Amino acid sequence: MSRLAIQGLGVVGGFGCGVDALRQALAGAPPTPQPAPAGAGGPLPVLLAADDALEDFVPRRALRRVDHFSRLALLGASLALRDADRLETDRSRLGVVIATGWGAMATTFAFLQSFIQGGDVCSSPTHFSSSLHNAAAANISILLQVTGPSLTVSQFEMSFPSALLTARRWLAEERVDAVLVGGVDEYCPELGYCWRRFFGVADGPLQPLAFDRQSALPGEGAAFVLLERGDRSGRYGYLTAIGQGNLAGSPPALPQRLLLGADGQKECGAGYPRLLPTGARVAAYAPAWGSLPVGQAFDLAAAALAAGDNRLYPAAPAPAGGLELLGGESFGDEPVGCLKLGRCGDYGLLTVARR
Amino acid sequence: MRSPRPVAVTGLGCICAAGTNLAACLDTLYRGERAPQPPARFHSDHPVRYPVFAAAAELPGGERLGRTARLAIVAAREAVADAGWSPAALAGRRVGVIVGTTVGSAMNNEDFYADYLRGGEPPLAQIERFLGSNPATAVARDLGLTGPCQTVVNACSSGTDAVGIGAAWIRAGECDLVLAGGADELCRITYNGFISLMITDDAPVRPFDRRRKGLNLGEGAGFLLLEADGLRADRPPRAFVAGYGSACDAHHLTAPHPEGAGLKRALAEALDQCGAAAADLAFVNAHGTGTPDNDRIESRTLAVTLPGVPFLSTKGYTGHTLGASGAIEAAFTVAALERGEVPANAGFGEADPQCPATPVTANTPVRGEFALSQSLAFGGNNAVVVFRKGGAR
Repeated sequence: MSRLAIQGLGVVGGFGCGVDALRQALAGAPPTPQPAPAGAGGPLPVLLAADDALEDFVPRRALRRVDHFSRLALLGASLALRDADRLETDRSRLGVVIATGWGAMATTFAFLQSFIQGGDVCSSPTHFSSSLHNAAAANISILLQVTGPSLTVSQFEMSFPSALLTARRWLAEERVDAVLVGGVDEYCPELGYCWRRFFGVADGPLQPLAFDRQSALPGEGAAFVLLERGDRSGRYGYLTAIGQGNLAGSPPALPQRLLLGADGQKECGAGYPRLLPTGARVAAYAPAWGSLPVGQAFDLAAAALAAGDNRLYPAAPAPAGGLELLGGESFGDEPVGCLKLGRCGDYGLLTVARR
Repeated sequence: MRSPRPVAVTGLGCICAAGTNLAACLDTLYRGERAPQPPARFHSDHPVRYPVFAAAAELPGGERLGRTARLAIVAAREAVADAGWSPAALAGRRVGVIVGTTVGSAMNNEDFYADYLRGGEPPLAQIERFLGSNPATAVARDLGLTGPCQTVVNACSSGTDAVGIGAAWIRAGECDLVLAGGADELCRITYNGFISLMITDDAPVRPFDRRRKGLNLGEGAGFLLLEADGLRADRPPRAFVAGYGSACDAHHLTAPHPEGAGLKRALAEALDQCGAAAADLAFVNAHGTGTPDNDRIESRTLAVTLPGVPFLSTKGYTGHTLGASGAIEAAFTVAALERGEVPANAGFGEADPQCPATPVTANTPVRGEFALSQSLAFGGNNAVVVFRKGGAR
């Protein structure tokens, strides 16, 4: 496959906003979850993301009707453009690809509320139009004046690798010169309610490498990369392979160094140890951003940052025995894979290299 | 931009208000029949009972899957069978699934949420069903496919985008075959949403007509089976995906660009990809929702960009099936290109002075190697796919 140059990163999550905040969290200072409303059962510990920094990029007045979901996406996209020093460039040949597991969930429920409580004639047109999954991509295009192609993908945990498959085609077919690809998902109390009913409340910190423990806590945020064709020099290295499918077919060949998308979800976590090649060294960084469907977008940002810094950040602590952990050494010339397992054998594999 | 090679379309499938398979739908279209009715599957307390186009009530899949996923499975199975593949023969292949939708990806279960709002502790069965009903995954699981899956949620251009992207996956060698389509169900959420935006017609939809007041919602699914070159020498394609273009207006969340900027760019890109000019086009299957804005912009754009090319909207027979519409219309486009005749644009009776180009008003013979289907969407998305004639079947 043709590799893609990673030119900019834009991240916002429970760890804070921007590359420096991500670097700090990866270097060993993960954020503390905050109690958030979760329906009748009381609050739930959640890694929430603040979107106030968006006003550095977009005038407050233009954001009046823009919801939190779109704001997170706009902030991630703007940060990635600034990080790549592309804020002032022409955007007529820039594409936008958004991956989301849930979409604008809070606005979706707000729309339902408008007619459940007020009757059908009280249905809110503003909430309806903002509840569509592609509202975030649309707001990016409108407010940042991006007139290239736009795509939103919703494939639960596989949303991000699936979205990347298409971003890569756009670049290969020269439909665009660059693509902003991001994953975004938000928390809302209704999600918290479902979470509590499905998983209960974790009784300790998120331990992604304790595969047999349910330690996940919800997170929200956006992680964007600005990609160009691989004949350019990649500031954060290169995305060299994208794979997505189901393990019932041909399982993917895994590199020896892996950032695991394990995020404290026991059901999916159980699959990782079975897949790891002998001698593989692993890390998982979900304590920095929590558990959310597009967590692999953050994994890719972490891998790209490590490639750019030529430093692999320390892994989250692992239970004794069994796993060899990454961390502390230079990134070097070997690739690093980002592996995400979903339900029923679905997988996404992204590979990053410095050269 | 590179001019990528065409991708074979070997199978088609469709279910919508016009019929439970593609042949039945085409019969309905060429007979000029349509019968939208007020919604029967959900309650509405709107004072006006806006008509909708509902598909068959009974679908395989039972309560395990959401209706959108079940519609998708019906059309996907038909496309696979039409292409002469058995699910067993597909099992060893790299087969991708890409599906456009809107409702099929939204966690908007009304009963669950009404209970939640009352302070209750609603059970999670409906949420579990939603989690198991992602349209692309549901089709892949049903047919035992293990390749990449993508559910495109580009609002009303999703189905067209799915076909264009699926063709790109084939050309890139990501897959041997791709099931590309779209699916969406009727529900009270979108019914209320479009009524709240005041773009729903209380009469049967009238695309491009002067008296049009908006859309009628519909539901259904359409699928195309796309194949890599050389997979089966003995199976002539029904058509080829020859070009695809998409662009964003970057103008407004729910209104098209007043000059059709994104649509013009998507048209130019799609035609450039296949090297076709207006004279090569047999016809255009327009988006033609029946909303005042959409039809005015589309008509003006077609008058300038593709003058004299016959065009129609098939939404007069299907209603607006949202994320499914582009895929359903792609299937109709391929079938009409094969047949050399397009159906009349149902609902059109009176020309609009604001629409310089008018659709065909009767079943019309057409000539040309190419046909084009286009979709416009909320969010400013515009997508265009061009088909070239295949071999005789």
